[in-house]
Amino acid sequence: MWVWFFKLGSPKWFYELSGKWLPWLVAAMVIFMTIGLVWGLLFLPPDYQQGFTSRILIVHVAVAGTSLAFFPLMFVAGTITLVWRMKLADMVAKNAAILGAWFSFITLATGSLWGSVMWGTWWEWTDSRLVSMLFQLFLLLGVISLRSALEDSDAAAKACALLSIVGCINVVIIKYSVEWWNTLHQVSSPVTTDTSSPNGPEFWIATLIMIVAVYLFLTVSLILSTRNEILERERKAQWVKDLVLKAK
Amino acid sequence: MLDAIQFSSFAEFVDMGGYGFNVWAVYGLFAVFVAINLILPLRKKQKIIRQLKRRMTLDAEIQSEDDSHGD
Amino acid sequence: MTGKQTTTSAAFLATLKRDLLIAFKKKNDIVNPFMFFIIVVSLFPIGISPESDRLTEIAAGVIWISVLLASMLSMDNLYRSDFEDGSLEQLLLSPHPLFFLVLAKNISHWLVSGLPVVLVSPLLAYMLALPEEAYGTLFLSLLLGTPIMSLVGSIAVALTVGLGSRGLILAVITLPMSVPVLIFGTLAVQSTLNSQSPLGYLSLMLVMLSVSVSLAPLASAAALRISVN
Repeated sequence: MWVWFFKLGSPKWFYELSGKWLPWLVAAMVIFMTIGLVWGLLFLPPDYQQGFTSRILIVHVAVAGTSLAFFPLMFVAGTITLVWRMKLADMVAKNAAILGAWFSFITLATGSLWGSVMWGTWWEWTDSRLVSMLFQLFLLLGVISLRSALEDSDAAAKACALLSIVGCINVVIIKYSVEWWNTLHQVSSPVTTDTSSPNGPEFWIATLIMIVAVYLFLTVSLILSTRNEILERERKAQWVKDLVLKAK
Repeated sequence: MLDAIQFSSFAEFVDMGGYGFNVWAVYGLFAVFVAINLILPLRKKQKIIRQLKRRMTLDAEIQSEDDSHGD
Repeated sequence: MTGKQTTTSAAFLATLKRDLLIAFKKKNDIVNPFMFFIIVVSLFPIGISPESDRLTEIAAGVIWISVLLASMLSMDNLYRSDFEDGSLEQLLLSPHPLFFLVLAKNISHWLVSGLPVVLVSPLLAYMLALPEEAYGTLFLSLLLGTPIMSLVGSIAVALTVGLGSRGLILAVITLPMSVPVLIFGTLAVQSTLNSQSPLGYLSLMLVMLSVSVSLAPLASAAALRISVN
């Protein structure tokens, strides 16, 4: 029963399997991304309250929702690295930290572009989602800088795994404490419309399509960078040498 | 189906009901973000393969030189 | 069974005693963070405003953030000198659970760098024009909060102990993690100022402290084993 699990830990097996999956994932990503973006830009009727800014939300909600997946992902990868010493988990975690920082940054940027219209301000400390996303970004940057400081890759793998586990627990605590902190400072808040306010089934279907598209994008990008990591770290293995000889 | 398009002219499409800058900035940012995170890994892969190939040919040359010295 | 337990507690006490002795010999480690804290706090009125109304508003936050920075700076010495002279390796090789030895080191670090700051906080609160009724809450919140920062910060120090220059990386890792402590510490003081009971926040901090006492040394111990090979 556990055979598949340990097979997955073998970089070679993962490289071959992901190579087979990639074309399908890319195709699905392109389809969903095109439908989502074209629908979002051309066909979605303006929201009665927010007008065309609801189009921002389709992208923002999809990116924000997906960036919540990074710490759980790194928590699992970190546990696997520490408990089973699986090299592949660390290769995924290394690239997930970088991609996660990108996702958090884009979430913040699109959020402020929406907020600048709806709230009249680019940054709002009373919105707990913005604040906790900012600290998620800081924690991810911490993991990345720890990785680059520790050059020895085995110690770096374990250290980053441990920091990701601690960081994941912290993200949860930070999220709830910031939310609480906000309910007590609500008095001066200009935040009147919630992000979830645009209604109509069309909006939600378009958002759902974008969420699927962004998750596919996350998977594709993570697989691509993990495959690079495999080639670099396994460069002395015979199967990599054969692969390089075959490539043009 | 084309009736469902929300805009009657291209200028209206660009304007987005007055929110043109914000809407297009978000979509532009998103496009750049997606493109970077797909293109960079692909280019890196080519670079890695090129480097590995160069190293392998070097190794092979050293090997053959050693062999000829051995004779 | 009992024999082993006594030796573990003896090892705990011995580690605690040793670290305190070293700290008192090297007085700089005690004096510098303390001075840093007082200087940073005194800079705020000069940088922001000498008006007591404005100072009252920011007092709790200023003291808390200065405490955070001071404890982070003093943290640098937690494992470094032991790592350099090799006694950290001895610690890892000892037959006693590393959990307790790490805990002993953290407690001694807090006694040396956290406690003095807590003790002097009412004086600084006075200088920042914090109303008298909030002194007690500030004192208690710092008393509960500073050990949490020592315990959590210890994980980051243990992870980076082998690095040559790590002052900034330590800050990047530790400071975001201290957000919850900062929130509840300042909220407790604020609620006293609004004449509400701060007991809810203080008991939450007590919960956070007991969770960190039981879990953080585990993580620190694991981190030390990773860093020292």
